[in-house]
Amino acid sequence: MTPGLVQHPLAGTAAEFVWALPLLPLLGFVVNGALALASSVRIGPDNPATDAHPAAVPDVAGPAPTDAEGAHPTDAAQAPPVVPARPAFRTLVTVIGPGVVALALALAVAIFVAMAGTSPTTPFVQTYFPWMWVGDLHINVAFQVDQLSMLMVLVITGIGTLIHLFSVGYMRDEPGYARYFAYLNLFVFFMLVLVLGANYPILFVGWEGVGLCSYLLIGFWYSETANADAGKKAFIVNRIGDYGLLMAMFLLFANLKTLDFVGVTAAAGDLVPGGVLVTTICLFLFLACTGKSAQIPLYVWLPDAMAGPTPVSALIHAATMVTAGVYLVARSALLFALAPVAGLTVCVIGGLTALFAASIALTQWDIKKVLAYSTVSQLGFMFVAVGCGAYVAGVFHLVAHAFFKALLFLGAGSVIYAMHDAYHAAHAHGDAQDMRNMGGLRRRMPWTWALMWVATLAIAGVPLFAGFFSKDEIMGTLFERARSSTLADAHWLGMPGGTILYALYGVLLVAVAMTAVYMTRLMIYTFHGVNRTGEAEAAALREAPWIMTGPLVVLGILSAVGGFLNVPTFFPLHGAPPELLAQWLDPVVGPAALRVTHGIPFVPDASTGVTLGVVAATISILGIVLTCVRLRTARPGADAVPGRAEPAYRRILSHKYYVDEAYDRVIVRPLIGLSRTVLWKGVDGMIDGAVNAVAWLGRAISRIGGMIQSGQVGTYAWVLVLGVLAVLGAFSLLHHA
Amino acid sequence: MTSYDLGVPLQLSAAMRPDLVLMAGATAVTVWSAWRPESASHQRRCGLASLVVVGATIAAVIVAWVGGASASPGIIAVDAFRWASDMVILIATGCTIALGIDYNAREGIVAGESHALVLFATSGMMLLAAARDMTIVFLGIELMSVSVYILTGLNRRSSKSAEAALKYFLLGAFSTGFLLYGIALLYGATGATDLSVIAARLAGPGMAPGTPLVLLAIPLLLVGFGFKVAAVPFHMWAPDVYEGAPTPITAFMAAGVKAGAFAVFLRVWIEVFPYMADGRGFYAYWHAAVWGLAVATMIFGNLLALTQRKIKRMLAYSSIAHAGYLLAAVVAGSTLGASAFLFYLLAYTLATMGAFAVVIAMGNVGEAHLDLDDYAGLWAVRPWLAVSMSICMLALLGFPIVGGLGFLAKWYVLQAALEGAAQPQVVLATVLVLTTVVSAGYYLRVIQIMFMRPRPSAPATTARAGMLTELVVASTVVLLLGFGLAPQWLVDRANASAPPTPHFARPLPPSFGGPR
Amino acid sequence: MPSGGDWILPTLLAVPAIGAALILATQRAGIARWIALLTLGAEFGLALVLWFGFDAHDPGWQFAVSLPWIRSWGIRLALGLDGIGLVLVLLTTFLMPLAVLGSWTSIRDKPASFYALLLVLTAGMLGVFVALDLFLFYVMWEVMLVPMYFIIGIWGGERRVYASIKFFVYTMMGSLLMLVAILYLGFHIGTPGRPPDFAIDNLMLYAATLSPATVRLLFVAFFLAFAIKVPMFPFHTWLPDAHVEAPTAGSVVLAGIMLKMGTFGFLRLAMPLFPSAALDPTFRAIILTLAVVGILYGALVALVQPDFKKLVAYSSVSHLGFVMLGLFALTVQSVQGAILVMVNHGISTGALFLLIGMIYERTHSRMISAYGGIARVVPLFAAALTFVALSSIGLPGTNGFVGEALVLIGAFRTEPFYVLAAAVGVIVAAAYLLWAIQRMLFDPLDKPSNAALLDLNWREIGLLTPLLVVIVWMGVYPAPVLDRTQVAAARFVGLVQRGAVGKTPRSARLLPGAPRR
Repeated sequence: MTPGLVQHPLAGTAAEFVWALPLLPLLGFVVNGALALASSVRIGPDNPATDAHPAAVPDVAGPAPTDAEGAHPTDAAQAPPVVPARPAFRTLVTVIGPGVVALALALAVAIFVAMAGTSPTTPFVQTYFPWMWVGDLHINVAFQVDQLSMLMVLVITGIGTLIHLFSVGYMRDEPGYARYFAYLNLFVFFMLVLVLGANYPILFVGWEGVGLCSYLLIGFWYSETANADAGKKAFIVNRIGDYGLLMAMFLLFANLKTLDFVGVTAAAGDLVPGGVLVTTICLFLFLACTGKSAQIPLYVWLPDAMAGPTPVSALIHAATMVTAGVYLVARSALLFALAPVAGLTVCVIGGLTALFAASIALTQWDIKKVLAYSTVSQLGFMFVAVGCGAYVAGVFHLVAHAFFKALLFLGAGSVIYAMHDAYHAAHAHGDAQDMRNMGGLRRRMPWTWALMWVATLAIAGVPLFAGFFSKDEIMGTLFERARSSTLADAHWLGMPGGTILYALYGVLLVAVAMTAVYMTRLMIYTFHGVNRTGEAEAAALREAPWIMTGPLVVLGILSAVGGFLNVPTFFPLHGAPPELLAQWLDPVVGPAALRVTHGIPFVPDASTGVTLGVVAATISILGIVLTCVRLRTARPGADAVPGRAEPAYRRILSHKYYVDEAYDRVIVRPLIGLSRTVLWKGVDGMIDGAVNAVAWLGRAISRIGGMIQSGQVGTYAWVLVLGVLAVLGAFSLLHHA
Repeated sequence: MTSYDLGVPLQLSAAMRPDLVLMAGATAVTVWSAWRPESASHQRRCGLASLVVVGATIAAVIVAWVGGASASPGIIAVDAFRWASDMVILIATGCTIALGIDYNAREGIVAGESHALVLFATSGMMLLAAARDMTIVFLGIELMSVSVYILTGLNRRSSKSAEAALKYFLLGAFSTGFLLYGIALLYGATGATDLSVIAARLAGPGMAPGTPLVLLAIPLLLVGFGFKVAAVPFHMWAPDVYEGAPTPITAFMAAGVKAGAFAVFLRVWIEVFPYMADGRGFYAYWHAAVWGLAVATMIFGNLLALTQRKIKRMLAYSSIAHAGYLLAAVVAGSTLGASAFLFYLLAYTLATMGAFAVVIAMGNVGEAHLDLDDYAGLWAVRPWLAVSMSICMLALLGFPIVGGLGFLAKWYVLQAALEGAAQPQVVLATVLVLTTVVSAGYYLRVIQIMFMRPRPSAPATTARAGMLTELVVASTVVLLLGFGLAPQWLVDRANASAPPTPHFARPLPPSFGGPR
Repeated sequence: MPSGGDWILPTLLAVPAIGAALILATQRAGIARWIALLTLGAEFGLALVLWFGFDAHDPGWQFAVSLPWIRSWGIRLALGLDGIGLVLVLLTTFLMPLAVLGSWTSIRDKPASFYALLLVLTAGMLGVFVALDLFLFYVMWEVMLVPMYFIIGIWGGERRVYASIKFFVYTMMGSLLMLVAILYLGFHIGTPGRPPDFAIDNLMLYAATLSPATVRLLFVAFFLAFAIKVPMFPFHTWLPDAHVEAPTAGSVVLAGIMLKMGTFGFLRLAMPLFPSAALDPTFRAIILTLAVVGILYGALVALVQPDFKKLVAYSSVSHLGFVMLGLFALTVQSVQGAILVMVNHGISTGALFLLIGMIYERTHSRMISAYGGIARVVPLFAAALTFVALSSIGLPGTNGFVGEALVLIGAFRTEPFYVLAAAVGVIVAAAYLLWAIQRMLFDPLDKPSNAALLDLNWREIGLLTPLLVVIVWMGVYPAPVLDRTQVAAARFVGLVQRGAVGKTPRSARLLPGAPRR
């Protein structure tokens, strides 16, 4: 049933089976979840009140970790009572977990091939059953296949498969093995729903669903308060964003009477370009993005999210979920194109976030924290792109980033894995994620070292690596947009849009430089110089098994050549077909982009393009080189020597600008306090007080009456007489009145 | 369908057949009780005999009622209202005697004549229900009161009993004075004691709207009746007397005395000061007065009951409160009001009798176990007693189904109260329901004590109540619940039994919001 | 209307009464709970018959019966169902057996009486949902009160007596004022000489002829009765106490079904009877404000509750606020959303109370701080609790989302600014529940006593499963419910809107309703 167009080119192709894409991981979730429970549950006795059997703490939840990565398998041994050597049903889970995702990938490829063959110009919508049909509101459970969603699906299933495989090794002896894969499958399911949904509500299902999974996975080792906190924080902060998405949906429905992407696209024409309505809608949408994609002001959850297992950080908090915001903007491109002011807002926030996060990354010691802030920063780049109407560039960077950031995280993962083994072997305890404990790992784990360098060069934007092209396209387009576009003509807080965009270009350049610096710093402290882990431990450091290194290799290749997905036309590299991605995405985002550029198709001017490219490349290379020089002999942690006060700027940076503290003091605590003292104790107390007061009054009157009831006949007689007089008096009044 | 000419002595006596049956029986019981030396068994036998008398009287009433006899205007009324009132009164009497038999046995009261006294009191009440002449009214009041004075002091061994009797007597006499004075003034104004004649004269052309004599008479009568029905502020005697009197007599006062007094109260008002569309007559005055009396009684009766710790006192105040509700029915002064009144009277009598029966069943030698706390955890030891008590409480609270008739009675009264649809009537109704909420405060406390408090570790042993007592408990509860589910028959009786009044004009379309 | 279905509703009301009688007859604990379970199971069966026999397109009362009761007062035993009543009847009969199972082992003291009361309660609640005669409605409304009073007062927690009295008096307070209003309406309807009439449909026609001021007064009387029951913001303080002190079954019924009485009252009576007052700008503004205040207030206060039951109680205040918002926003979407929220809240909150009851039965503590990290010990319980909590915070894909989304999306069309504020409640909801379950299930397992906790047993699994299934079903495919309620909801909106304009609601005339005498 394909509503609208009767004979869609994709009808009858593999695309018909799009429903199976999310269903496969869902199936995986169900099975693995069942296995997880089956392996851990003991049914209670019929009467629970009977005294408890002397149960040792069961082996369900994984050990109480000693640090964020504590529950790493080898630590399991130190966990409270018995942990089985092998988690139950391990083989079965190992097959199902990655298996379903791989199958999904295969199907995705099939659909992709079908699409590539037919290259449809309209989305292929599959409607399954009504979800909310009330009055003129018709929300269906429906999927939409078009170039954008397919691209996302490929990224999700592709990277997903790799990371599932990596996890097989990484979570090897994890007691919660089945639970872990259940969650991971569930995540893939929701992520696919998110990108396949044919209307905003369905997208919202995925949107909140991935939030749920991230909540569950961040708190995977929930016995550690910090982890549980991080999970909760992530969910709630995301909810704040979701509020925006809800409001946007309400506004859309109230004004366009539809929530389908197709419908909205059709009806968008009725909206006043640059009008208040469309601007508000877009701003609400972007609020949602700041939550999910960790932009200012809602980015605070992402760094904490590193509490989750590293593969999770790679999949959810780097490659896929956090890019949902970019997808949402691209998906709503037409709306944003109509609202230049909103577009400018997106650009500004994105640019600031890119710079801000990068600056924090400069000083972090926790290897995952560095990568987390780097992710935030890179997402900033993407938002600048989609904000200024460079949707292709944004999505392009999204894909490239998925490659190299996943690689970086997995690399970091195998480093941490090695560190743990080392510490465990030496029965020592140390922070396995602190770069100050690393150094000189190059010789111990050459593969990881090499591959991570590839990723580093990619993210830094060294020519020919993936990041170079994507980042370059962003900067280039931004520059062009600043020159002429609806955004340039618009005004933002009184400032001319053009100026702002030029300024942002500068900001991004700085961010590029910083990126180069902090990544190089990470590499050097981790892999170069002398080893600081300790002799005993150092001996035990070794490369992770192939099940883990394999995916790294694949990602490494992708990070290296991924850039050729979308080579600019003027790029002097003959034979490589230019602008593949741009052509691929054109049916989806083309019209919107056109609108931004006043309807004049955007042809990058070669000279400018080249100049900008050279500038950016130079800066990043310089950054790398200089950092290498500066840090070659550095002793990390030396600058933390007690006695020597670290400079203020460093302190501020290493404390992440005290944003968390500020939120806590300004919002969280006051809110709790208000609720407890004023609302609960105060208001409820007052209401009850009032009610009780009335009751008390009644009893008081009652008592007084009781006193008159003294038992003295005389009193009674007098009262009686008074009564008579009262009645008589009343009568005379009544009569004369 | 006979119609008696009350002028003819024989026909008059025929019209008074039930009363005569009762009085004859009463006399017989008195003589017999004196015939043999006092003894527990003799007391019992006299009691049973009295029950027989009551039964006979009931039969007579039913015969008369079904016969549907009527009568020429005269000193007594022969109408359904009288018979209906009689029935309620006789039910109360029957219960009282039944309870009395067991109670006397337990308290060692061997005076068989106590039952005879109850019968005499009853005959007084029945006279009141029948009275259509101020002299008969007075006669009935005295016959009833004097007997009850004595009954109150029945328990010679209890000083409280004696004190109560004295109080009741003094204050009663005092109030009767007012009543008598009122009657006299009315006579002065109209030169008649016959209600119908008085009414005619009052409505007649000679009578100016605000004739002072009448304006003085109304409140004085009001005091007299108000005292008997224990309406605030003439209620002061009630708690003490109720507490002091032997429990069955308390029940008798709470139900029977109230019924009788109210019956005549209503008849006098309706027949003497009827509502007249053209606004002549004195309806407005007494309406206002009774309205105020009702409001005051409902509010204070309920409030004062809140803090009582002794069950009998609590029930005393509750009976005051209910006098307020009955007044609310009386206020309307309409046919509907009268039907509601009768209906309520029955419900109230059953519930009260049931409650006091439980009190007796719970009590112990020497009026023991009368604190509310003695009921703690009753559910655990005597579930059915506790359940019955709860049902009576819920009935008095006016709760549907589980409270049986109680709710329907309140509903009926509210209907009557709202019939006028005038602002004050709506206020009256509102006061009624709000005070009902207050009453939840003390009725629920009994339930809560019985069900939600632990049984005291060493529960004082309660002698098992006599068979008759349990019979009363059971029958009242059954009647309450049964009629609560299927009230149609009762409602019809009540509707049919309203005294013939110049019909209360149907209210104008409701308009306390002003015209639309 | 399907012919021959008119025996069902009377049976529906009679069966529990019979069951109760049976239990009291055989005062045996072991048998009592079985009788109760079977009786309520039968009730559910009957409800299913109604569910499938219901014609979703018939705008009138279905399965209607009207038997004479008190002729001269114009009172009839008039029963009937529309989509709204149907859904709530199903909810009731669905929850009650689970409530019995939830009390299976936890009620040790006088179980026979307990289950008998539970059955009486069921009859009362069902009566409210199916009554087409205002007198009957009121009777049922009051009858519910007594069993619940006993259930809280006898089988409740430490402060049970205080809680039960508070519950009783609060509710009675409101309902008695409603009683006056009912009488006023029924007694003054129509021409002189005609007996009073309490058939809802006729009263609807009559009320439209009253003077605005009168209507406003009457509406206030009804409003108080229902607002206390809902409970709306300033009238809510009885709820936390009652919820906390009540035994599990009590809390389940209270939250799951009884709170719906209030909103049902608005749907069935207060608004259709007095549209002009209900939509009177001032009243409407006040009520909507109270609703939104309730949403935020309840959520924020829930945030800081140390006692999980109290937390859920306050969350109820918040959820019911959504219902009120939906009703008074008066769009088809918001009203149907409100109905869904009523159902969903019944299921999710009922499940929450059942779960809390289970853990309480094991540890005898409701305090969140008494737990921590128990997910490692009782994984099944943890999984269930987490899942239900997620549905309660309205995660898409669970029932919670559908209802609230519909309310908000519908209300946004007429009252955008209230929605702007109300939706914040959705954020806070996530905060309080996630925080609570974190402190209970996650974090270090630091209380040694908890290390020996027992996980759910088969009975508990069995009674939770239906709830979990429904949570997903309603979240993914609510169509069956929406279809059955849409006609009623549309009619409701129509009645109120047309009535508010002052015209006599035409569609009210078309209703079959209880035959006139």
